[in-house]
Amino acid sequence: MKSKFRSFLSLTLWNKVLLTSGLLLVLTAIFGQFLPVADPNEQSLDYGLLPPFFLEGGTSKHLLGTDLLGRDLFARLIYGTRMTVLIAVSAVFLGAIFGTLLGVIAGFKGGKIDAVISRITEAQLALPFILLAISVIVSRGQSLSTLIIVLAIVGWAQYVRIIRAETLSIRERGFVTGLRVGGISDIRIIFFHILPNVFGTVLSLATLEIGTMILAESALSFLGLGVPAPSVSWGADLASGKDFIDMAWWLVTFPGIAIVLTVLFVNAAGDALRTHFDLRKRMF
Amino acid sequence: MHYERILIYESGCSEMIEEIVKISDLCVEARSQAETIRAVNSVSLNVLKGEVLGLIGESGSGKTTLIRSILDLHERNVSIVHGEVFFNNELVLDTSKNVNKLASLRGKHVGMVFQSPRASLNPLMTIGALLDEVLRKYGGDKSKADRKKQAVEILNEMGLDGARVYRSYPHQLSGGMCQRAAIALAIATKPELIIADECTSALDVTTQAEVITTLKKLKSDYSTTLIFVTHDILLASELCDRLIVMQSGNVVEVGETKELLRNPQNPYTKALISSVPRWK
Repeated sequence: MKSKFRSFLSLTLWNKVLLTSGLLLVLTAIFGQFLPVADPNEQSLDYGLLPPFFLEGGTSKHLLGTDLLGRDLFARLIYGTRMTVLIAVSAVFLGAIFGTLLGVIAGFKGGKIDAVISRITEAQLALPFILLAISVIVSRGQSLSTLIIVLAIVGWAQYVRIIRAETLSIRERGFVTGLRVGGISDIRIIFFHILPNVFGTVLSLATLEIGTMILAESALSFLGLGVPAPSVSWGADLASGKDFIDMAWWLVTFPGIAIVLTVLFVNAAGDALRTHFDLRKRMF
Repeated sequence: MHYERILIYESGCSEMIEEIVKISDLCVEARSQAETIRAVNSVSLNVLKGEVLGLIGESGSGKTTLIRSILDLHERNVSIVHGEVFFNNELVLDTSKNVNKLASLRGKHVGMVFQSPRASLNPLMTIGALLDEVLRKYGGDKSKADRKKQAVEILNEMGLDGARVYRSYPHQLSGGMCQRAAIALAIATKPELIIADECTSALDVTTQAEVITTLKKLKSDYSTTLIFVTHDILLASELCDRLIVMQSGNVVEVGETKELLRNPQNPYTKALISSVPRWK
């Protein structure tokens, strides 16, 4: 425990800030509903568009102000954490698994299998995101699971392209040829040797994708295709606050700060994890 | 089909020695967008059981392409277009009959050691885990503890501190140690033939000597047949019983090492030997 505290102290100030905000984020996502905050959906039109407490007209009852319907922004941020993290992490997780597997298979097997997977990937990348989202959400109906599936469909193609390229390089390395000479099966080589070697790249890409997913979710919420009310998400709040940016800047600023900090934290966490999993960096 | 060959040695004695590999009229082509190159051109050769056969020639002469053909390990743009290969008198490749069982030789029958010692070991796995992978496949139903014991023994036989190297990652070992660990991996399945593809090229001279000692030990202790691919004639003369000289995809000369080096017949072999630096 002491050594863990010491290693925390040895981090740079920036990393400490990111680590602390990350910890707060995770705790808020898990335990947010137990915090003593107002109901995020409780409306009070008399208190609509109240500024944050530190501005004139603000009140300590609504720390970060209220939206047009008088809903407490701080409470919405707290409750939105879980939904935003859930959507982004689930979509990234699904897309990463599917895309990585296809990328590794395409890169390792080559030939016709590679050609088929690559063409499907290119076709996916050529489809406009919004058009695809509208088609799927309209056909399946608006729900949390549909939103996660749509975002996963949007994300997987990036993994295929990058992991395929990485696998093509790893496949030519001596140890893979050595395993083939040793008579080790392709499936075993893929799952026990190639996948661990591309894991660092998947992790880096996944951390970047989390930010993209949060923004994509807010874009869909803006179009009314996001999580259905009364669920709360940062993206939806950001989108709904956009119309009042000139008179109530806090409506977009605080969800925006939450998104930016989350993306920064996830990227920093990705770097730390990558170093942790890269034995050569850890040893020297 | 059964192929045997009577070799007449210089001393005049005759002895029946079986062939482990026989290659007949093998042609391999490498394709690119611009052209198709014949990397191996109608090569015929045999490898005798228990011998160390040296394959020498300049870079690009087709040595690696030729030995990779034995295991069908070519890149996608390289393919065998013609030829026959026999392994232990069994037909494993015949392009005219569309027979290709070369991949079945991998592991149990033929092992391989590569040029770069570090690149030939998975950087994320310990040497022990890599050895265990091979032993689990070929070691029958041995327990994990038995497999570990066997792996440590193999590493010890390679002149390494078996217990320590077993739990080490490749980056924690020197180049020579990595190469000996790679040799341990290649012999773990007790293959009848080991192919060493430029396995000393990336090493300094002291480490080269260590690896050569290990390879000599394989020959003396296990009577393993070895194909030693190199462009270093001095190393080949130290280790090999016979030499095959290649140039531009063709075999230009074959002979017993001492005789070939003492009395080369082909102009290219003469030029290759004369290009070796000498002390004055």
